[in-house]
Amino acid sequence: MIGALRLFVGLFVVQSIAYAVLSLYARRVRRRKLEERWDEKGKTGSKEAFVERGLRAYDRSFRRKLILGVYIVPWAAIAAVIYVVNYL
Amino acid sequence: MVYAKWAIIVVFWATVGAILHYALPQHDIVRIVNTYEERQDLNDWTRMFWSEPEDQSTNLSSRDVQFIQAVRANGRPIVYRNEDTGWGWPPYFKFDTANLYTEANDAISSKDDPEWVVVTHYGWRNEFLSIFPNAISIKHVEGPDVRIIPWFNIVFLTVFFGLVWAIWVRWRRFREARIDPLLEQVEDGLYTVGDAIEERRSGLRRWWEGRKSK
Repeated sequence: MIGALRLFVGLFVVQSIAYAVLSLYARRVRRRKLEERWDEKGKTGSKEAFVERGLRAYDRSFRRKLILGVYIVPWAAIAAVIYVVNYL
Repeated sequence: MVYAKWAIIVVFWATVGAILHYALPQHDIVRIVNTYEERQDLNDWTRMFWSEPEDQSTNLSSRDVQFIQAVRANGRPIVYRNEDTGWGWPPYFKFDTANLYTEANDAISSKDDPEWVVVTHYGWRNEFLSIFPNAISIKHVEGPDVRIIPWFNIVFLTVFFGLVWAIWVRWRRFREARIDPLLEQVEDGLYTVGDAIEERRSGLRRWWEGRKSK
């Protein structure tokens, strides 16, 4: 079972790195889009406040939680492969 | 420099291609003729083409391996090894080696009364290195001419190259936005220095020419 442990720990580390990188990247893209939208039509009130408000809404959104798929999808795939290869 | 760049790109993609070709599942339509077990010495570099067992035999340099002998529809022989992949590479999570051996023995058929099966496997057969593809599963089929669509490979390769493309596009954008301007700045700096040197030199020359003509 040492092999299983190695896989689980290794995969968890890789997933955590991927999750962190993806989260930061997605947030940055979101911020850029909000800034662009303000530049295009908003232009009322403070740009900073507009972006902050948008980002706070994003933090609560479902899109944000989709990044958790980084943790879920590989485990689901592994379970599916184990079932198909050994029991189907 | 251009050659070196292309050489690196070609070697990189050839390696990726080889790894994918080795590790992705392939299907053969065969008739299984026999199975056998043979002791294998596994202490040279071809060790990487055999499974990493998860029992005490990890430390041994030789162990028994199961083989499945088969004949393709075109009459050419193919021999598969039958080993657990366990939790290791490639990620097939195959633990049912003994069951597969039983299925293979059950599917043995003669030339006169052939029973065709699809053997899903990964890996390469190479006579010079004595390496064998690893059988993953056996499925009975109607005849030697059935059409097999490699759905898994289609989906996997599409997603894989989609991901590569997505990352590549973002990297290009990043490079154009951040790194290229930086390089240009450096280049401009060099030109400025170059111009300054040029100016000074022409000044010196003028001075020298002036002296000579006196």
